[in-house]
Amino acid sequence: MTAENPYIPNFATIEDSWYETGGDRCIKTFKVVFTDPAVRDGWSHKPGQCAMIGVLGEGESMISISCSPTEGKFLRFSVMKMGKVTQALHKLETGDQISVRGPYGNSFPIDEWQGKKILTIGGGIGQAPLRPIVEYVKANRDKYAGLTMIYGARSSGDLCFKGEFDEMSKCDDLSCHLTIDIEEEGWSHNVGFVPQMLLDLNPSPENTIAVTCGPPIMIRFVLENLKKLGFSDDQIYTTLENRMKCGIGKCGRCNAGGMYVCKDGPVFNYSVLKNIPEAFA
Amino acid sequence: MDLEQLRKTAAEVVSREDVKYLIGWKKGTYGYRVAPVFVEDAAGAAELFFSPLCTANLTTYLTMAEKLPLPRGQEADKRKVALMVKGCDSRAVVQLLVEKGIHRDQVVVIGCPCPGMVDPALLAEKYKETEKPVDLKWDGDQFLLICDGEELAIPRDEVLAEKCRLCRYPNPVISDILLGDPVEKWEVAEDSGVAELDTLDINERWSYWQEQFSKCIRCYSCRNVCPLCYCQDCILDRLNPTWVNRAVNFSENTAFNISRAFHLAGRCIECGECERVCPANIPLGKLNRKMAQEVREKYGFEPGIDPDAEPFQASFKPDDPEDFIL
Amino acid sequence: MSAMLLSKEKWPQFVGKFAGKNLWAPKLEGEAMRFSPVEEGETPLLEFSNTRIPPKSAAFPQTETMFRFQLGNQEIKLPELGEEMILMGIRPCDARAMSIVEKLFRWDYDDPYYLERRNLITLIGLACNEPGLNCFCSSVGGAPDSTEGLDLLMVDLGDSFLMEAVTPKGEAVLKEAEDLLEKAGSEALKSREAITAEAGSKIRRTVDHKGIPEGLPALWDDPLWARVSASCIGCGTCTYLCPTCHCFDIQDEVEGFEARRCRMWDSCMFEEYSLHTSGHNPRPTRRERTRNRINHKYNYYVDKFDVIACVGCGRCINLCPVNIDIVEILRQVKEAL
Repeated sequence: MTAENPYIPNFATIEDSWYETGGDRCIKTFKVVFTDPAVRDGWSHKPGQCAMIGVLGEGESMISISCSPTEGKFLRFSVMKMGKVTQALHKLETGDQISVRGPYGNSFPIDEWQGKKILTIGGGIGQAPLRPIVEYVKANRDKYAGLTMIYGARSSGDLCFKGEFDEMSKCDDLSCHLTIDIEEEGWSHNVGFVPQMLLDLNPSPENTIAVTCGPPIMIRFVLENLKKLGFSDDQIYTTLENRMKCGIGKCGRCNAGGMYVCKDGPVFNYSVLKNIPEAFA
Repeated sequence: MDLEQLRKTAAEVVSREDVKYLIGWKKGTYGYRVAPVFVEDAAGAAELFFSPLCTANLTTYLTMAEKLPLPRGQEADKRKVALMVKGCDSRAVVQLLVEKGIHRDQVVVIGCPCPGMVDPALLAEKYKETEKPVDLKWDGDQFLLICDGEELAIPRDEVLAEKCRLCRYPNPVISDILLGDPVEKWEVAEDSGVAELDTLDINERWSYWQEQFSKCIRCYSCRNVCPLCYCQDCILDRLNPTWVNRAVNFSENTAFNISRAFHLAGRCIECGECERVCPANIPLGKLNRKMAQEVREKYGFEPGIDPDAEPFQASFKPDDPEDFIL
Repeated sequence: MSAMLLSKEKWPQFVGKFAGKNLWAPKLEGEAMRFSPVEEGETPLLEFSNTRIPPKSAAFPQTETMFRFQLGNQEIKLPELGEEMILMGIRPCDARAMSIVEKLFRWDYDDPYYLERRNLITLIGLACNEPGLNCFCSSVGGAPDSTEGLDLLMVDLGDSFLMEAVTPKGEAVLKEAEDLLEKAGSEALKSREAITAEAGSKIRRTVDHKGIPEGLPALWDDPLWARVSASCIGCGTCTYLCPTCHCFDIQDEVEGFEARRCRMWDSCMFEEYSLHTSGHNPRPTRRERTRNRINHKYNYYVDKFDVIACVGCGRCINLCPVNIDIVEILRQVKEAL
């Protein structure tokens, strides 16, 4: 087979890895670099895209690339330990290799958003696909009118990327609003659910793009509240997930209505999504 | 059976407050086909019928009901399900009761004494399939095929289903309502399919099944249609660990088919559905009937007859003769 | 393209020319016709309605190794895709299905396994003189003598076969057998027209799909889906026997240190098909899965590739254990619109 075979993975070495959260469904972040320098140099991705990563012999999972291309020639993936493949990934340490295929999917139209205010609303591991937006805006501050980040989780232990928020509070145009579901000793920030915090903050929809990702139930309420706040459908973006196997629109299973999440998504504008009931199943 | 009485009884049953719906047979979309129908009102009851084409075992739907999570405040619909059963089908109901797969008060059993069903494949082979409406009736030792106003008599033996040839229980062994008079039991034929295999030596038998299992396309029709395959978490669906690989080849197919046969040992009530539905025409009946025969001969047990029996694979008799074990 | 005549007396010789070249034709296996290799000296009879299992497995095998590797090693070994193949006696609907499915396997990313296998196959089709009971190819853009996807079309004229080349591959077949063939005269061509016209008129089932692709989204919550899926037992028969169904699973199989990544047919009617590891399932019951299947064939595929992903072969109708009938479902959809 001489033609390019999209099913053959590349390999990347884990340069660094650490746990974001603990517990049964802990989240581990992997910072990986392609072993083949040609692949490393030839790679480019945009915020919002994902890759099929895995372990040969176990399988692959579609994980969002949670770093912005502005950060360097490496990739970051934040993986929650859930099933066969993710359990195998969690057993790996710095120096081990993972298989990577990608980048797949569409991306956030980050260039179209230039000049606007960006509002990201994330919950739990849902912050992982939103992080590239935050990092991209941080690296291109003059091109955007500011970024507001709302991020919540069940408890402070369930928040990802904890070390990265302090820096944001030092900037005028970047703000970070954290919240956790239940009161906790030592927690000085907000307590409450993310959709409610959104309403409380009452951001103006003017010249603003809202992007949300998190558990399905949170997305539902966030979308409702964004509409209450006066956001129009085309100002709202989300990123979906579904069970995937091929990642390139062939195996058929990831469709939400007529949209394949691996190809027509994972990024969707709400004006498209509101006509796809299956996306909210 | 009087069809008017069937429809009237069905309409009465579904109008009861404690009955959710009734599962019966209705005419299919073409030729000799018959489809299961879920009747909720008298209008639906008018579609019901009973003829020698009603081979499908409807008991499988008792354990197939899918339950979605309920919205807050809503109670589950715990009303009964009414089910039409023939003799063989009723054994499945009894076996489910024995295994506690269903509760007696969850089901209203409408028994239909069965004079014998036709093998639709045999019928289509000998009497060309047609898109015109056809009717098939019992008439003593023959069947009457009625199409386009014309009546054709077919000798019973020519198209009788294999499982009916071997039937020992034409009358339902359990019922709340019995439609029609009990039928007279007929002479049980010898199981030539199994007997033929018994004459082969072990290598010939292995070659035979090797050929058959190589045809399997792993559609799982046999597993899904079986009234007694109702595990929520079937080992075939579990991929962590992978008990049987999803790859389709002789080795995995054999693992699947033999596992299923063993899981059904002492539970299979020989309704023949697995063989009827198999798109690759694998003679699954021979496999499952052989297991049932072994259980009968060596343990003196027959599933699906006594609702108070202990499940075969889950019980132990201190006075088991065990004369075939060392 | 040429049209030649082969007298049926010379049929065994014609087959003989190709029998050693990985020739496959329908053969009776037990009670069902299936495409099987033709041995030297065998002569397929070509008297059949259609094969039970569609020949999609020639380009899209039920189980296929994608690559082999050893545990702990990054070396990927690609499989040899094998030799050329001649599929003789494929019906026009099945060949048309292959071109329909090819659109998906070429969508943005080329699927090398499917496309390479497809290129290795020469399709010699057999026009239908007697459509099956549940055939409805003419309702969905096909015909008993459609040449779409074929390299060569054979029409049974009674005492001879008319052979029409469709592609250069088909011409090559005719060239190889030219000593057995005669030029087809106008009488043969007239006979062919009459036979295929009669075949078309014998198609008994029809589907009026006008307005269905555009209208299906509006019927998303219609009670008809619960009604038609009530008796579904959730097996994979309709999807596995469907010539346009192309969904697959990818699994890694490990034995000791040797391993392979392989793909195998999967069915959207199985519950685990869209089941997330978290336990969430966007299509939790058979109602949603049935709705998804019909929408995929008559709506989503039309949106993406401008063609209905159903060729009217009727296999799903013939073999559904509980008589769920797609023609009947589409009639109910049309009614609900």
